[in-house]
Amino acid sequence: MGDVFVLGVGMTRFGKHPDRDATDLGVEAARAAIRDAGIDPRRIQGAYCGHVFQGMTTGQRVLAQIGLAGIPLANVENACSSGATAIREGYLSIRAKEHDVVLALGTEHLTTRFRGALTPDEDDVEAGVGLTMPGIYAMRARRYLEEYGVTREQLALIPVKNKRNAAQNPVAHFDEPVTLEQVLGSRPIADPLNLLDCSPVSDGAAAAILVSASVARSLGDGRAIRLAASALRTGTVESEPSSMTFEPLTRATALDAYERSGVGPEDVRFAEVHDCFSIAEALRVEGLGLFGQGEYLKAVEQGEADISGRLPVNPSGGLLGKGHPLGATGVAQVVEIVRQLRGEAGDRQIPDAKIGLAHCRGGKAAGVEGAACTVQMLVR
Amino acid sequence: MGGDPDRAWVPFRPGVLDEEGRVVGSRCPSCEAHFFPARQVCSRCLAEDLEQVALSTRGTLYTYTVLHQAAPGFEVPFVLGYVDLPEGVRILGQVAGLEPHAVRIGMELDLHVEPFGEDEERRTIMGYRFRPEGARGG
Repeated sequence: MGDVFVLGVGMTRFGKHPDRDATDLGVEAARAAIRDAGIDPRRIQGAYCGHVFQGMTTGQRVLAQIGLAGIPLANVENACSSGATAIREGYLSIRAKEHDVVLALGTEHLTTRFRGALTPDEDDVEAGVGLTMPGIYAMRARRYLEEYGVTREQLALIPVKNKRNAAQNPVAHFDEPVTLEQVLGSRPIADPLNLLDCSPVSDGAAAAILVSASVARSLGDGRAIRLAASALRTGTVESEPSSMTFEPLTRATALDAYERSGVGPEDVRFAEVHDCFSIAEALRVEGLGLFGQGEYLKAVEQGEADISGRLPVNPSGGLLGKGHPLGATGVAQVVEIVRQLRGEAGDRQIPDAKIGLAHCRGGKAAGVEGAACTVQMLVR
Repeated sequence: MGGDPDRAWVPFRPGVLDEEGRVVGSRCPSCEAHFFPARQVCSRCLAEDLEQVALSTRGTLYTYTVLHQAAPGFEVPFVLGYVDLPEGVRILGQVAGLEPHAVRIGMELDLHVEPFGEDEERRTIMGYRFRPEGARGG
């Protein structure tokens, strides 16, 4: 057995929170998740806190505010997959029967740490010649558009869709939809990507209470959602140049999750994927095997990835619309999926949602195909 | 690399240039795989006795972008591109000596070792840029 369930979820609104910090945001999310789980906080036996730039003891500062100081906690840094990795650490500790109840948290006050384009670590060779994260995805976008004969306008439909979804999500950074013309007319960042092709610099936190099957049975009253797989991989070192329009790392991580969960790509009803840039959403869903290689933009054009479509992608608004406070992002994806699977997603509700997939991928180092990738499978 | 305190120049990142100022990577003597940046163990066959080799100085542009926003110290806009070298290495560098609209996927570019600036001890920081075939370094 050793099944793991998500019993409660909570998050802050994502956006710019100039009067708050990562601790304060983390506290709000953790307390919301504990309340949502309906569990006595004294039953929480361990905690994992994902963040990227918040400095040492970020998680401990949160625990100290909520009466939980003393339990084991590990802070987790894994680039944009930090929060998702915190979830996975909690999942593993329950599967190992070390804990029955775990708090997995992600928090980031990014606006005080970064302005403008994120870059790889300063020591990296590619950072030394000027690479930025938008730059990487812009180069992948240029290649993708050329190889698959799709247009810049089709690419811009991704931010239009995700910001439309975000406008229906009360915790999203952006609350207004944007038009195709606005995306195409926004400030150039890294050609062909413009400002509205890029996820924003956001602050925020998200939390989940993970429990063992026995705790879920005793407390769950049917609201517990099974975390059927939580896969993690690192990008491999390239020993020859490979396509930048396909993601072997995403594919390998997804195959791990499909195998562990017994759920295949054809069973997935909807997905929250790491759309840090417009092009990234296409690369992710094709790497996951949810859409055919080079076919995603056409599918978006035909509405297949809309909330009402065949396979909704980023109903929360994704990173483009909901925002991207790095360490919180992977946990917030799980928050959205749990709410969808419980039927609590309000205007964004996907009918008949039983299986949702979350994908994160982050980091860049020279000669490596991406740093950290996670795929989580959630089943009602 | 970078061990000689009297040298008048330093590489922009440790290990990317040899003492003669050539861009270097690793070659696996067992399976012939090449790597950039240099690795200690071959990720294809796990051989440990990798050799330092100077990389080819001409390659093919795989993809590129024009950056309009960059880290402090980089003057925008500039062109950044991945170039595939014949030994099977893809290397990222700025593409200089071409107007952005003249850059094309698939074009041949030369790898030039060039100054990037000066460090705090007034030594020249050396790096590399790509330029159109036959162009002279700037």
